[in-house]
Parts: sequence; structure tokens; C-alpha cells
Amino acid sequence: MDTEKIVGDFTSILDELKFNSRPIITTLTKMAEENISCAQQFVDAVEKRIETCVPKQKLFAFYVLDSICKNAGSPYTIYFRRNLAKLYKRTYLIVDNQTRTDLIKMFKLWMEPSNNSMDEYLFDKESLESIEQFLVKASALHQRSAQAPTVPGLLREIDRLALLTRERIRQNPQDERLNAKIAVLHQLKQELQREEMPPKALQQVQMQLRQIFAQEQQILLQQQKQQPQATPPPHMHDDITRNQEGDQPNIFGGSALSSSFFPNASNILPPSEFTQSQVAGKASKIRSLYDSLEKESLLFKPPKQSVVALEQRLENSTQGSQQVELPPLPLLQDILGDVKSHFATISVDIVNTPNLVLCQQTVMQDNPAVIQLTNLLYRSKPNKCSTCGKRFGNSAEEKKKERDHLDWHFRINKRLKGNVGAGGATSKNIQSRNWYLHDAQWIQFKDEEIVSTTRREDDTITLANVEGPSTGVTPGSSTFDQSFEKKSDSKVVEQELNKKYVVVPESTEDMSFQCPVCMEESSAVYNDDTGEWIWPNCVESQGKYFHATCFNEAVKGSLQETSINQGLQKLKGLIGK
Amino acid sequence: MATLPGLSDSLQPLDVTSDPDVPQRLAIPLGSEWRVEVPQDSKLQVKILSGIAEIFGTELAIDIEYTFQNTNFSIYAVEATELEWKCLDLANQSISSNTNLKHIYNLHFSLEKLRVSSFEGPRVLIVGESSSGKTTLAKYLCSYAIKFKPYEPVMVNLNPQEGIFSPPGCLSATPISDILDVSSNTWGQSMTSGATQLHSKQPIVKNFGLENISDNRELYMRIIQQLSEVLSNRFQSDPMVRRSGCVIDTPPFSHFSDDFSELHEIIKLFRITAIVVCAHDDNLAVKINDVLMSQTIPIVRVPTSNGVVQVSDVFKRSLQRSAIKDYFYGDLNTVLSPYTIGVDFDMITVWQPRSALNTDSGSEALYLPVETNASNLQHALVAITYAPRRAPVEEVIDAPILGFALIMEVNDTRKKLRILLPVPGRLPDKALILTAYRYLE
Repeated sequence: MDTEKIVGDFTSILDELKFNSRPIITTLTKMAEENISCAQQFVDAVEKRIETCVPKQKLFAFYVLDSICKNAGSPYTIYFRRNLAKLYKRTYLIVDNQTRTDLIKMFKLWMEPSNNSMDEYLFDKESLESIEQFLVKASALHQRSAQAPTVPGLLREIDRLALLTRERIRQNPQDERLNAKIAVLHQLKQELQREEMPPKALQQVQMQLRQIFAQEQQILLQQQKQQPQATPPPHMHDDITRNQEGDQPNIFGGSALSSSFFPNASNILPPSEFTQSQVAGKASKIRSLYDSLEKESLLFKPPKQSVVALEQRLENSTQGSQQVELPPLPLLQDILGDVKSHFATISVDIVNTPNLVLCQQTVMQDNPAVIQLTNLLYRSKPNKCSTCGKRFGNSAEEKKKERDHLDWHFRINKRLKGNVGAGGATSKNIQSRNWYLHDAQWIQFKDEEIVSTTRREDDTITLANVEGPSTGVTPGSSTFDQSFEKKSDSKVVEQELNKKYVVVPESTEDMSFQCPVCMEESSAVYNDDTGEWIWPNCVESQGKYFHATCFNEAVKGSLQETSINQGLQKLKGLIGK
Repeated sequence: MATLPGLSDSLQPLDVTSDPDVPQRLAIPLGSEWRVEVPQDSKLQVKILSGIAEIFGTELAIDIEYTFQNTNFSIYAVEATELEWKCLDLANQSISSNTNLKHIYNLHFSLEKLRVSSFEGPRVLIVGESSSGKTTLAKYLCSYAIKFKPYEPVMVNLNPQEGIFSPPGCLSATPISDILDVSSNTWGQSMTSGATQLHSKQPIVKNFGLENISDNRELYMRIIQQLSEVLSNRFQSDPMVRRSGCVIDTPPFSHFSDDFSELHEIIKLFRITAIVVCAHDDNLAVKINDVLMSQTIPIVRVPTSNGVVQVSDVFKRSLQRSAIKDYFYGDLNTVLSPYTIGVDFDMITVWQPRSALNTDSGSEALYLPVETNASNLQHALVAITYAPRRAPVEEVIDAPILGFALIMEVNDTRKKLRILLPVPGRLPDKALILTAYRYLE
């Protein structure tokens, strides 16, 4: 248990080591010192940490290793040494240069015999040597010049130089010096193969070779500039220079840069670079063709004022304006249609339109006048209600109608969705059908009552019920006037009236209202069902509040009056006939 | 299907991919119409994306979803239209450029000219055989009439098999003062106490109560007479309605007697000023012309659109059913709450129009008393008249209609009924008339 816990602690502290923290390292070292029994686990943990953490933090884990080994010594040094070289090399390969330097510094300390332990190195000789060799090679890669030139390497360099030179010969077959150069190179090659030379001599040869190589390149470049047909595209040069500047450890070891110069040698290229250069080569060929044609003045260049140039310039300038978004097509079509329709109907007068007499020919014919008139049904009223599709015109009157219509939609939708009560709960209106009107009522009915959008409709549901059966009840042509069927049933009516209420409006100061009929004051009560303050037995009419019962009585009275009036009028009408 | 040269109609079957959740896109070219048949138990949802589209004269709003159920209709593209539709199983659909819209426009504007030039609007009688496009034409004429000027043409329905702003079995007259509800099979809501998304209409409804006018022609003509009287009174007292005129839809011409007596009577009663014959050919128009030689009423024929669908009796029944349901429960947009009440047997008096089915009594009366029992009344639609319960039969016959009730349940042993009322409250103490329509939930 203890071991597990200690190792767990050790690991978790180790995981905290995301920066170079002396306290953490000290803590870990102490733990290692105090718990030798857990040595194996600690070593595993550190090794694991070195292996798995991000490269930047690996160094700190190494410091832990270093610190533990230096302070606690055996058995840690023994355990660590097993994987030390492997770990060190792997780490070195993936970290950045700064860390490498630090690693090397650390290693250098390992190579110094530790004072306190009798001329002994911290780790075993094999591991340290292995690391040392590795570091020698690695730093040799860093410092290229440090690498001694080898015979095969030089031979390769000579081959390349020869290739370059042959290229030049191909272009300048008459140049004797070049042929001589080839011969010298050949000789040199043979010399190198035959004799063993001291490293210093080899280095000298290499230096010279490189100089010559650079010169050759220079000459070749100049030549190619003079002979455009053969010019590799400018960016190809860039490629080369980039490659040269790049962190290529040994210039001649990598084949890319020099060989990309020669299409013949392209088979050495890695595939991707190969295709790239091929494409570039093609582009360069076209380019050179163009240049040569231009040189021979075989090309027609459009003058600045030409149509082609103009078109090009236009194209450039419109590219910006194309980003300005046009309105959607249907909208544009709408506008166009409205305008067309306006002009189609502006002078149309249906009364004076010919060929509209109701007869078979009118119905069957292709009448251009009717096609014009058809606009009256649609776009001559360009404003279409987005809810129901009804159309409205542009005159002030029509505009007002449209506003009222939209308001009406809004109110109706609000009512259909239900009222939001005080508690946030929506109470949906329960709707029922009305009875059909009596013949006599229907005769007097004006559809204005339905379609008028300016009537006060909010909160007047209660009123509408009272008014509903009472819209002008008169004995019609039929002798059966039973219209006030509800009157006969006064109990039901009274019950219903008592059920009516008005939610106390916010505008009232005191919570009561005075009924203008009976002059009594009534105060509000709280309705548990709706969660609102209401005036029971109350209706609202034209901004005044009445007792529902009083109001009903009054309305009945006035209705009888009007019905008498209407009866009289009817009588007059009959006499008039 | 290749279009044959000389064949003006290019009927193209459309590929029906049946994924109900993915809206289908459809473009209707200018002047063409998309004809669809929505099966009974299916729903079609249509949303117009752009263009001007109308259903039988009523323009559709853009980007609003319309739902259709149990109906056949077409969407006409006044201007090139793009729409989106969703449906589980659309039985039949096609796009056709062969419409009779040209003739309808022609007819409309010649009627419009009459409206503009006189204080008395045209009173148009539409006749034709079954499935000749009469009701559709009536819808077009009413819808167009209200577009440019605020006319209020009265839509008169004399076909008891159809419910227009009413349950079936009725004759009705309704001023069309605002746009029609395109997704309602009964043309829209009649006045209710609550709010409706479109302006509702206020019909006058007369109960015939039988299915075929041949069941009792005398009663049919009596009802028509009542309706025409009320309407003529309305014309007198309502200048706007008078000026707008009326459009009268009729039962299939074959339902009338061979001696054209009903036609004569209707022309006289409604003071018809124009007759429109819906037919593929001139035969009927010529026949009517011969019969009406003595009169100077113009008779025109509007060619039947080849988009007209022959409706089956099953389809008619389902429309009638849905009209009854709508009366009590409202439609998709407006939910209504009917009330159920309990009533004793002795609290109701029920009459029944005499028909071929119950003439055994030998009585000549138009209405016969009905004994209250389950076999007579179960699930029946009854009309509530304005006549008091114990009023004499003649009074009942001429009484206006308050509305309808549905007998939900008749308990012969307990002598009790359960009745569904559209309006809250007690059952009005009125005489009831049994109709030939039954409705079982």
C-alpha cells in the first residue's frame, strides 16, 4: 500500500514538472533518497516521463534523473544505466538546439569523474561512450566542415562537376578549354581512386572542387540568361538557392540541388520534386518560347487603347463591384412586374373597355384588353399581405387599409395564441360557434362588422356575446319572430351574465368601478383560476364599465326601440311601393 | 409521355419521391396549373417560395404553409411560381398548361363591367352537369370580384349535397366580403364567437335536410323561395351587396326535373341576369337557350377545364363528413369547443322532411313528426329552428335555422339523449328537424 502511494505521489509530482523547477526536482530527489525500496518504480516513472512528455519538458525529467543519481547514487545509477544511452539519444534527436546544448552540458558533467565517489564515473563506461560517440557524430552533422572529406565523396563531386562541364560543352562545342577540363577531372578521379591521400590533401581537393563547381554554375547561369530558350524559369533558381540555404547537412550528399539542374539527372530526384520540376520545366519552355517570339517581334501586343486592353481593364475593375450583392431575383422580378402592371393599368377604364359585353364571344375570345385588365387582380395593388396574401394599393386610403389589416392580423394572432396570464401560463381562448342569425338579423347585417379591422376587438368577447343575438332583431318577412330565444330563458341568461367579468385594467387607480346604469360601486375580487383581479358581473362598452346585468337590461330596452323604428321604416317602405 | 403535335395539353407525370419530411420543390411555369388530389387520410402542405400563385382565384401568401386535406385542387401560376410541398402519399398530380383561365378572366371582366356600370350587380346562375366545374367557377368569380374593389358578391349555394359555409343538406347565401380560406373545404369559417385567422363570413343557412332534391322537390323549392326572399331583402338594405350581385351554384343539372321548372323558378326568384353553363360542349347551353327563348338573359358557356376530377360518391361523403365535423369542432386553424348536454325524451320535438323513404303515411305534409327513439335519432344531425317547440308544422317549415345539433346517444330505456351543441348553454326550446345526415365520431 505504502509503496503504491509513494510511487503515486512521486509520479504525480513528476507530472507537474513542466518547467525547470528546482523545488520539484529537490522534492523528487529527496523522495528517491528516502525510499530506496521504491527505486525500481521511481526509475520506471522517470524513464516513462522522459519517453512520453513533450520534447520541451524532457530536459527537466533528465535533470531529475541527474539529480537523483548524483545525490542518491546507487541503486539508481545502476537502474538508470540500462536505458540511459537509448533515452539520451532518442531525446537528443527530437529536441531543439538549445535543449541539445543543455543535454550536452549535462553529459559533460557526467564525463567528469565525480569527486565523492573515488574516481568513479556517474554511469558505466559503455553507456557514456555510446552517448559520446553519438554526440560526436551528431555535432559533426552540425558542423559540416568538421567532416573529413572521403574519397568516394570526392569522386561523386568530380562526377557532378564533369556533368556540369559536359553540359557546357553541349552548348559550346567549340570551347577547347572545357574539353581539357573534362580531361583534368577524369585524371583527378583516377588519382583519387589510385592513391591514398592524407585528409588534409583531400580537404584541399574538396575546396578546389567546390570553387570550380561554383564557377561553372555561374557561367552556366549566365549562358542560360543569354540564351533564353534554355533558361530555366526564375523560380527554379529560387528553388536551388533555397535548397542551398536550407539546413541541408551536406551539400553534396543530398542530390536534389545539383541534379535538379539537369533534366538528364532527374531520375535521382525524389518523385515529388521530380514532377514539380517537370512542370516548372514545361512552364519555362512556354515562357522561353514566348520570350523568343517577342524577341523576333512575332507577337502582337494589344495597344493600350485597344478593345482587348479595355476589356481586361474592365474585368479588373468589375471584380470589385461583383462582390456587391444584388437583391434576390424574385424581388427584382417583383419590382419589374409591379412597374409593368402600373403602366398597364394606369389608363385602364373598365367601363370604356370594348368587347366586354356578356356574350359567348366575349368569353371565348383572346382579348388583349382583358390581358391588360388582369393586372387589376394582382400587381396593380403591389403590396401583398405576408400573412394572407391579400393585396393593397399605393393610395393613401389603401395604405391605411393595409396598416389596419396588419394590425388586425397581429391582434388576431395574439388572441389565437392565447393570453399570457399573470403566472406566465397561457390561457387559450375557448371558442365556440354562434347560432346562425335570424333571417331578419341577417338582412340587416353589414359585413362591415366582420371585415372592419378597426373595431376594438380586444377584451370585448364578453360584450360580443351580449351583442351577438341582439344585432337588430325585428320581425322579418316571416311571421315567426322567435329570435330572442334566450330571453325566454331568463335564468340561463342571468347565470351567463353573472359569469361575465372584466380584468381590472392597469389604468384604474382604485380597484372599483361605478356602473353608470345603477350607479353602484363594485370592487374587484381576485380570481384564483386566472390569477388576476377581476370585476365580476361586468362588461366594458366604449371605455365604460357596466354591470353585465344592468347593461343587458339597457341594451334590451334600446333594442326594442330600434326594432320598433325598423318596423316603422319597413311599413313606410311598403307604403312607398 | 411525349407531347403529340397538335395536342395542346402537355400532361407530364411528375416523379413522386415519397419522403414526407423532405419538401419537394416544384416550379410551375407562367399560365400553367399544378393539379393535385389529396387523399382522405393524408395531408398536403404547400409553401409558395416565389411568384404569384392562386387557388381558384385566391392568391397565396409567400412563405406561408398551407395545409390541405381530403381535397382536389389546383394551384395556378399567374406568374412563374416556385413552391415546396410535403405529402405522404399524393395520389395524383400533374402540371398542365391547358387551363380555362382565359375564359374565366373574360367572364369576370364582363361581369365587372356590369358591376361598375350599374347599381344592380349581375346575378349569375351557374348550371352544368356533375363535375363540370360549377363550384370552382363560382369560387373564381367570387374571389376575383373582391380583388380590385371592395365588392361583396353573395355566394348562393343551392346544392344540398355540398356544404358551403354550412354543414351538408343546406342551402345558403353568403356575402363574400373578404378572401376565402383556400385550405377549407367549406370555403371558410362562418361567424363564430372567437377569432379566426381570416375574416369569417356570415351566411344565411336554410335546412333542406335531404340528400337529393328529387327526394322532395316541393320542399326544395319552398326552401329556395325562403332563401331568395331573405336575399332580396338583403339586396334592398345593403347597397354594397346589391351592387356586387350574386353567384349561384346549383346541383347537377340532371337533378332538376326534365321540364326545367326549377330552372324557371330559380331564374324568377333570384331575378337572374346571366346564366353561365359549365360544359365541355354547347349542347346544354343550346337546350337552355331554347327553353328560355322568351327571356333576354344572356347565356354563356365556360368550357370545362380538363383538370376537373370526377368525384366519387365516397369522396362526396367524406366531404360531407368533414363539413359536419368542421361545424362542431372547427378546422385545422380554428378549433371550436362544442358542448354535450343531457336531455329527456319529452323535452324535444322532432320533425322530418317527407321523402321517398317515409311516404307510407300517405300524408301530403312537408314535414312529418318523428318518434324519439334510438333507431330514428342515433348519431343524427338535427337542425334547430327558430320556431318554438310546440309550434304548428307550417310555422316550423318557414322558420329560420338557429343551427345544428348532433344526437350523440339515445337511451331508449332511460328515455334520455345526449346532444352535442355548437353553442354553450341549454338546448333551445325549439322544434328540431331531423336531417338525412348521420355522423359517428
